[in-house]
Amino acid sequence: MTTVPAPYRITPARVLRAEWHKLWTLRSTWATLLAAAALVLGVGLLMGTTYTSDGGDSDVDTVVLTLYGSQLSGICLAVLGILVSAGEHSTGLARATFTAVPRRLPVLGAKAAVLGGTVFAVCLLTNLLTFTTAQFFLADTDQAASLADDGVLAAVAGNAVGLTLLSLIALALGAALRSVPGGLGAFIGGVVVLPEVAGMLPYDAVETALRYFPTQAAGVLGSATPLPDAPSTGAALLALALWTAAALAVPALLLRRRDV
Amino acid sequence: MIRAERLTKRYGSRTVVRDLSFTVRPGTVTGFLGPNGAGKSTTLRMVLGLDAPTGGTATVAGRSYAAHPAPLTQVGALLDARSFHPGRTAFHHLMSLAHTHGIPRSRVEHVLGVTGLSDVAGRRVKGFSLGMGQRLGIAAALLGDPAAVVLDEPVNGLDPEGVRWVRTLLKSLAAEGRTVLVSSHLMSEMALTADHLVVIGRGRLLADTTVAQLVRDAGTGSVLVTSPDADRLRTLLPTPARTAEEGPGTLRVTGLDAPAIGRLAAAHGIELHALTPEDASLEQAFMDLTHDSVEYQGAAA
Repeated sequence: MTTVPAPYRITPARVLRAEWHKLWTLRSTWATLLAAAALVLGVGLLMGTTYTSDGGDSDVDTVVLTLYGSQLSGICLAVLGILVSAGEHSTGLARATFTAVPRRLPVLGAKAAVLGGTVFAVCLLTNLLTFTTAQFFLADTDQAASLADDGVLAAVAGNAVGLTLLSLIALALGAALRSVPGGLGAFIGGVVVLPEVAGMLPYDAVETALRYFPTQAAGVLGSATPLPDAPSTGAALLALALWTAAALAVPALLLRRRDV
Repeated sequence: MIRAERLTKRYGSRTVVRDLSFTVRPGTVTGFLGPNGAGKSTTLRMVLGLDAPTGGTATVAGRSYAAHPAPLTQVGALLDARSFHPGRTAFHHLMSLAHTHGIPRSRVEHVLGVTGLSDVAGRRVKGFSLGMGQRLGIAAALLGDPAAVVLDEPVNGLDPEGVRWVRTLLKSLAAEGRTVLVSSHLMSEMALTADHLVVIGRGRLLADTTVAQLVRDAGTGSVLVTSPDADRLRTLLPTPARTAEEGPGTLRVTGLDAPAIGRLAAAHGIELHALTPEDASLEQAFMDLTHDSVEYQGAAA
């Protein structure tokens, strides 16, 4: 029996494959992912090799301590998210992309899926490597822990989930604003700095609400022991997922009628 | 077949395309002509579903571009500006577009060959000249072996050899029965390539005609007559003819051809020193047509 080649037509799987191809054929992808991994590993090693039990950090969560570099890597991954979406508009590629897939929405979905899957895989592997390496140096301290300990593996994975969802929020901001500097400004200003500034306000209600903001919620996911006054892991995950969904809904709704 | 019906595009209070209707048929090269800022690119973007019309519709093979299950096989497009990421290689740019439709690698390599880019396929687009960028845009347009091709100013930045290549390509695509719509602000270029013309100015349709008809409509041209007895000749010319003084003893006569003027002069014994027919050029026809709708007019020096 001869096989007839499938006729040319758009399918969601093909759009996904196209976005996967696009992601890995740019140097900026490799650069941001390697930088993110190197920061987590580097800071983790620094923490592991310099830690002393009587240094006053005994109350810090072990996973938070070893993966402290994710504070920095989060910015690299946000840059990647913004480049994936807004980068198409700043270069003009969006015209070719939306001519090939004029229904547009599958492109946003595929970008989110490809970025999310990649960032999660890279972060999880980096976290596992960093945690076990750092623990090699922490074995004789009060921060000694293993992946089998209660909540540790969940926090190592939770940190990766948090970074993944934050990078998707960045992708959504880039897609909505269609500008790399604009998206980066919105992410740094709105997601990273705003909660810090708002935290200065003397209102309890603001304080409570801020615990559910994206970066705070991501922090909860990455801690093996419950943080003081913080929502539960489940509530934090739900909050972060809702933030991500809401952020992605904006470009999804704008996409259909907007001129490219 | 590409059809625009009462297409209108407004940006705030500015109307860029107004009530524009035309049909582009397969098998011929249709030139889409207008001065800069006439609304050509906006119209093409509406045909491709990139810009949403304020009013009216644009259809490709009977339905909107976006409604086709495999749009790249319906229309291949080269748009006015660069539409690729400078950091990606030519091959990967085309391959990523090909993936959306399940177009195989062999087809990507084929269009790279057709556009003469095989040797630079592995180079990042960043280093491409304007002409190479245009070739890559044309390669992307041909990717889906489309029934129609829409090219916005394809010869921009091409060297003479490249310009000739585009002309030959457009004609061969039309000869294969495809619909070819190519925009330009240069009448001289369209005169060499197009069979049919859609002329717009300030977003309005000015003419939907053939190249030959446009020249005919622009008038039959004029005849330059030099005679020491020019004044007497002028009074003898029959009514449909109009004359204008071109210089001492020289008349420009329109509405009467050279043999008729020659016979008239001979019959009255008028001595002629020159009798020169001048065809209305396509360029002049275009200028006359679009004169009132030029967006940015240079002041006379």
